[in-house]
Amino acid sequence: MTDNTQNGQQNIYKPAIMKVVQKRDEAPGVKTLRLEFQDPAEHERFKEHYRTGMFGLYGIFGEGESTFCVASPETRKEYIECTFRQSGRVTSSLASAEIGDLVTYRGPYGNRFPIEEFYGKNLLFIAGGIALPPTRSVIWSCLDQRDKFGKVTIVYGARTVADLVYKHELEEWQNRSDIELVLTVDPGGESPDWQHRIGFVPSVLEEAAPSPDNCVAVLCGPPVMIKFTLISLGKLGFNEKNVYTTLENRMKCGVGKCGRCNVGSVYICKEGPVFTAAEVSRMPAGDL
Amino acid sequence: MTKILLRDRLDDCISRWHAAGLDVIGPVSKNNISQFDTIQKAGELDFGIILPDRTLKDLFFPQTEPMFRYRIGKQQIDTEEYLPPGRQRIVFGARPCDVSAMAIDDPLFGWDYKDTYWFKRRTETVIVTIACTSADEFCMCTSLKLAPDSPQGSDILLRPLEGNRGWLVEELTERGRDAFSLIEGLLENATGDPLPLAVVPVKFDLDACREWLQNPENFESHFWKEISMRCIGCGTCTFLCPTCHCFDFQDEGDTYTGIRRKNWDSCSFALFTMHTSGHNPRSTQSARWRQRIMHKFNYFPGKFSLNSCSGCGRCTRECPVDMGITETLQEITKLSK
Repeated sequence: MTDNTQNGQQNIYKPAIMKVVQKRDEAPGVKTLRLEFQDPAEHERFKEHYRTGMFGLYGIFGEGESTFCVASPETRKEYIECTFRQSGRVTSSLASAEIGDLVTYRGPYGNRFPIEEFYGKNLLFIAGGIALPPTRSVIWSCLDQRDKFGKVTIVYGARTVADLVYKHELEEWQNRSDIELVLTVDPGGESPDWQHRIGFVPSVLEEAAPSPDNCVAVLCGPPVMIKFTLISLGKLGFNEKNVYTTLENRMKCGVGKCGRCNVGSVYICKEGPVFTAAEVSRMPAGDL
Repeated sequence: MTKILLRDRLDDCISRWHAAGLDVIGPVSKNNISQFDTIQKAGELDFGIILPDRTLKDLFFPQTEPMFRYRIGKQQIDTEEYLPPGRQRIVFGARPCDVSAMAIDDPLFGWDYKDTYWFKRRTETVIVTIACTSADEFCMCTSLKLAPDSPQGSDILLRPLEGNRGWLVEELTERGRDAFSLIEGLLENATGDPLPLAVVPVKFDLDACREWLQNPENFESHFWKEISMRCIGCGTCTFLCPTCHCFDFQDEGDTYTGIRRKNWDSCSFALFTMHTSGHNPRSTQSARWRQRIMHKFNYFPGKFSLNSCSGCGRCTRECPVDMGITETLQEITKLSK
C-alpha cells in the first residue's frame, strides 16, 4: 500500500482537528465555515492530495461526521471551506461552532474534476440552490487561472432570493467583465427589487442558450433539477461526455468499505463523486 | 508420510500454544449460542456442530468496537486510538466456508485504504480449519464453487480421520507451519484414512445467476418485489453473514468526552441509505434485497473477482421468515433458463 492511496494516513478513520477561523451566514439555515489545520503534517498531506471536486467528512466528536464537498478551490489550499445546510444532528452542531472552536475533518476523498482537460475550452457552470458550493470550488479553481480558459458562463438558480448562497461572490462575478452570470429564482421566489431572471434553471438555461461548441458544462443541483437540465443541455446540443456532475450519497467511511453509497456497482466515494452525464446515464436510475 | 494430530493430544497442543503466548480460540457453546471464543482446554470445544451459529467475522470485525476516545477541551481535542489488543491468536476448528469469507473480505478492507482494525487482527491470527464431513440442508458451499475442504484463507487444513481419533494435517502457509512447529513432537508421522467429505448438492447455477444480474433490464424486474415480499428487514441475514462488512460509526459519550465506535450496519435497514433531505435511493425492502443480491453476486465479483458469499447458508438457516439467498438464486437460475 503506497502512501499515495492511503493519503499517508495510518488509521484511515482518524480525523484531523481543524479550527474554525471564519464563519458566514449564506442563506437561511446555510452556513460556511473556514477551517484551518492544527497539525502541519496533516495540512501538508491535504495540500498534496486535494483537487477540486473531492469531498471530506466534517464532524464534531460526540455528534458524528457528515459528508460535504470541499467548497474552496484547489488553488487556495491554506484552508478548507465547507458550506452546509443545518438539518441533522451533525450539521446543527457544526452550525453552532463559533470562530476559534475545534471541529474534525477527514479527507480529501474521491475523484476530481479534470480541469486540465478543460484548458482552452469555454466553461458553462450550472448550479441549483445549495449545490453551488461544489460548483464554486471548480469555478474559483478555473478563475484563479482565468487565462487558461475561454468564455465562462455561470447559471445559478435558487428557490427564493434569500436562498441564493455566496451572495458576496455572486456580486463579484456580476461585476467581472470576463464572466457571464445568469441568476434566477423560481417563480414566486423573487423579491420586489429582484432584477434578474424568474424561472426554473432548465428553461432559463435554454433562453440563455450557451453554445456547446468547444464547451464543457459542470452541473450540480438537486436530482430533479439535474434531470431536466440534462434534457435542456441535450436540446442545446451538448454531448453527455462534456457534461460533468457530482453525485452525493449518504456515506460513513468515505473510503469504499461501509457499503452504502453505491449506485449500481459504482461506489460514489471511490469512483466519484465526479461523473460525466454519460457515466451517470449508464447507472441504474432506480438506485439514484 | 503425512502428519496426524491425535485428538487426545489436543490439550498438550493448547498448552504449548499458550506457553508460546498465543491465545487459543475455537467454537464453543455459550448461552446456548455456538460461537468463537478463547478456550483453556480442548474439552470446551464444541466439535459436534456443523457450523457455529455466529460467524468467524466476529473475531476480525466485531459487532462493535471502540476506535477512539476523545476529550474535548477549550483549546484542544485529545484523541486516543484504541487498537485491537495485539495478541497472537490461533483459531482451532473453523469451517472452510467461514474461513473463505475472511479471504473474500481482505481485498475490500484493503481497497486502496487499509482498514487498520481488520488487518491488524488478520495478521495476528493463524487459522486452523477442519474440513466438513457433515452438512445440513442449508449448506451451499458447492453452489459457490467452493467445497467442504476449500483451503481458501486457511493456514492449516485438518481432515477428520475415521473413528473420531484425530485429523490429517495439511500445512498451507508459512504462518501455519510456524504455529505447528510449536507442537512438533505431538504430531504423529503416520497415514490414515480421512472420513469422506460432506455431500453438499449444488443448488443453483452461479454463472447463470451472474449473467442474469448483469443484464440491466433485470434491475427493475418485478421479480425483486415478489421474492422479497415477506422480508421484514430485520437484518439477521446480514449480521450472521460471514462476508457482510457494512458498518456505521457512532459516538457514545457527552459533549466533552466519549468513544467513537465502529458498529455493524445492514443494507436491510431503510436508514442505511437515507439522505438528510429525506430522499432514499433504496426506499423499499425489495430495493434493499436487490442491493444485497446484486452486491454479493454482481458488483463485488466485478470489483474483486470473488463472490461475496461463501455458501455457509446462515442467511437461510436463521431467517425468521424463511427467505434467503438460496431461494433467490434458485429462482434466478430458473428465470435465466
